[in-house]
Amino acid sequence: MGAALLLALVIAPEDADQGISQRIFYIHVPIALTAYFCFGLGALKALLLLWRGEERYDLESYVAIHQGTIFGALTLITGAIWARASWGVWWTWSSNQLVLFLVLFLFYCAYFMLRYSLEEGPRRARSSAVYALFGLALIPVSFLAIRLADDFIHPTVFTREGPQMSGTMFATFCVSWGAVTLLAYVLYRVELAGKRLDADLRELREALR
Amino acid sequence: MSFSQGELVAMAYAVVFVFVLAYVAIIAAKLARLQRETAELVELARARPAGRAPEYPPTVPGEQRARGPATGPARGTG
Repeated sequence: MGAALLLALVIAPEDADQGISQRIFYIHVPIALTAYFCFGLGALKALLLLWRGEERYDLESYVAIHQGTIFGALTLITGAIWARASWGVWWTWSSNQLVLFLVLFLFYCAYFMLRYSLEEGPRRARSSAVYALFGLALIPVSFLAIRLADDFIHPTVFTREGPQMSGTMFATFCVSWGAVTLLAYVLYRVELAGKRLDADLRELREALR
Repeated sequence: MSFSQGELVAMAYAVVFVFVLAYVAIIAAKLARLQRETAELVELARARPAGRAPEYPPTVPGEQRARGPATGPARGTG
């Protein structure tokens, strides 16, 4: 993470077009990709729950979606800051990429409302899993929106010709992406371990009564 | 309110830092609660078989293991 920060804030060259504000790219895009990955992982775990029926996938799916929501919120905030720096506005409804990501984020926020409105048990696990799987359809739509729609506001850096940036910039982006992914993985493992411990302790308390 | 480009870059990185810090603080608080609950359950488990309070307060798990079980009938007393 330290190396990523050093590369992003000091070593990477300044963009000729956007200037210093382009440095937000090194944190905004990796966070957005991690959010997509977490939502995808949550949906995959939900599918495994419905397929194999193992209870552990419910918690894994929940934690992945929770992580996705955190990274999704960070994507929206850092994106809004970058928009203010580049376009002069915090938000624009005319960009399909922005609106679709907001829809995806709100969809998974509603996942928690559904989950906590049902009593704990297999029914809640199954309903949450089905909902998480529906969200999977939104991920490619949101990700590809910028390429499918006539959107000239949101920049497209990765095209069929490869990344539209210098070697140092691309290396900085890769290191940042690796750091954010590692951070997400560590947070996922820690939260999952905490939740499992919590559940085990609750069970133990019941057994001791 | 107008911000310079540099201030906006600093703001973006600071937001991420604050989020991660808050997350770690929440996890730390949760771990402290779990630690407390574990200690309570240890107390409960020790008190349960003999139906009386433990002979000594719970300490480091390794120390407890070295001293042996805290409750239950003493060896050789029948």
